[in-house]
Amino acid sequence: MELFIQQLVSGISIGAIYSLLAVGYALVYSVYNFTNWAFDAFMAFGAFIAFTSISSLFLPFWAAGAISIVLTIILAVSAEKLAYSPLRARKAPRLFMMISAMGVNLAIVNIINLIYGGTFRKFPVDALQPIFIGNVSIGRTDLVAGGISFVVLALLWAFLYRTRWGLGVRASSIDILTASLMGINNNGVAIVVFTLTGILSSVAGIFYGIKYAVYPMMGMVTIKAMIASIVGGLGSLPAAIVGSMILGILETMVSGYISSTYRDLFSFLFLIVILLFFPNGLMGKSVEEKL
Amino acid sequence: MAETTPMLDIKDLVVHYGGICALNGVNLHVGQGEIVAVIGANGAGKSTLMKTIVAVKSYTSGTIMYKGMPLPKESYKVVSTGITLVPEGRRIFAPLTVRENLLAGAYTRWDRQHINQTMEEVFALFPRLKERINQRGGTLSGGEQQMLAVGRALMAKPDLLMLDEPSLGLAPIVIDMMFETITRLNREMGLTILLVEQNASIALELCHRAYVLKTGEISMEGTGKELLEDPRVQASYLGITS
Ligand SMILES: Nc1ncnc2c1ncn2[C@@H]1O[C@H](COP(=O)(O)OP(=O)(O)O)[C@@H](O)[C@H]1O
Ligand SMILES: [Mg+2]
Repeated sequence: MELFIQQLVSGISIGAIYSLLAVGYALVYSVYNFTNWAFDAFMAFGAFIAFTSISSLFLPFWAAGAISIVLTIILAVSAEKLAYSPLRARKAPRLFMMISAMGVNLAIVNIINLIYGGTFRKFPVDALQPIFIGNVSIGRTDLVAGGISFVVLALLWAFLYRTRWGLGVRASSIDILTASLMGINNNGVAIVVFTLTGILSSVAGIFYGIKYAVYPMMGMVTIKAMIASIVGGLGSLPAAIVGSMILGILETMVSGYISSTYRDLFSFLFLIVILLFFPNGLMGKSVEEKL
Repeated sequence: MAETTPMLDIKDLVVHYGGICALNGVNLHVGQGEIVAVIGANGAGKSTLMKTIVAVKSYTSGTIMYKGMPLPKESYKVVSTGITLVPEGRRIFAPLTVRENLLAGAYTRWDRQHINQTMEEVFALFPRLKERINQRGGTLSGGEQQMLAVGRALMAKPDLLMLDEPSLGLAPIVIDMMFETITRLNREMGLTILLVEQNASIALELCHRAYVLKTGEISMEGTGKELLEDPRVQASYLGITS
């Protein structure tokens, strides 16, 4: 029972990190209909900025986090302005967008690799003492990572569903042309979406770095976020979160009760089984309903 | 309704889709306070005309002047000049609620209080929408969706309201109600209206002036009454053979 609760808390926290990534994908996908392969580079970038801010500039954690978020936003918006927006202006096919995103990804990951090398680094924060409730030890890092991730998701929800700009993003995700008739500027929406992407990837990168390690290829984990959003139902934000939580919990349970070696194997098996029975994902509804 | 300077003045407008010429030298004007109709068969270029005015489609040559100024070339800037388009097929945001659809229509406006006031005006016009305020747009009936599309356009407080085939796919009784509302918008609220229709009889009935668009060219123009009585219009667009 103790192990179960420990694994559950850990699973929820990793699920929350997956949620940040999955929601980031779903956002870009729902508005621009392309998979932003550069997302994992944004995530690694965010983690390395925070890493350097602490280890070389000796800044406190919160300041490092803030700098990381700001710079990752700038990176994400620059990618939009330099790589995606010119292609959109020329009405390039979706495939070109994805290839361009892969190019952005390769470039950033390789620059990070040149500067830092490919080794795994420990994120420079002191390990927090776990909390004991009876015999159950709960990782305080998990609580912080999970808690902040959920706060970020809640803020994102409030932004999308309670503000004028959020309405603009949702309207554009449904029908970009009609949205423009209402005065919603497509390029303005893009800046909003990529700003959100920057925040999500930076926060996910930092917490993933703390939980595991910081390394140039750490963004590979975003494949899990893709699995999670497919399991949940592609393109929908709530579904992305549900899929992420299920996947996070499943993985930590497998690691805890079976073996961490089989963790990823189970993730992919799970994806296949879900798709066999629910081809549109667990919560996949109409294709039209995106955000 | 002769005007010295028309509100909307289109001269020699030529529009292409690749090599295909969709509008070939269209001249058209709309005066302040008028209801102007453009009738024409399927594929005549009616929607192209509308899309070109709101800059969704670019044009090859000609001029489009609105209130004495050229219109912006980017569609999202057009609405702030005072023009809104109710697009063909309504194109409401199906997953959004009625309220959200209406708020999207008011996107360029900032004053919450005035926005709510306009929303009440829209509800006065279409009480049905108020009853369904929290329902998703996609769950409305065709007629209600058309009301929502018109309501959404009104939320921007336009001076010129453009409608692309508002009767499309609606039951006759709903069409009558829709056109009655359009007339009221013109008479009671002073809205200038440019209307595009395949349903020629009803459009000619309510408009002040009308144009006949035939394969990208204006083939006839006159008051609604003149065109209703024109034998060529009767034969081609009203299905009257004598
Ligand atoms: N996106 C497009 N690409 C190519 N041709 C088009 C496009 N849209 C319309 N057309 C052509 O332009 C002409 C006018 O179309 P349209 O303006 O939609 O007519 P209407 O609204 O009067 O039915 C038609 O011949 C149509 O085939
Ligand atoms: Mg048409």
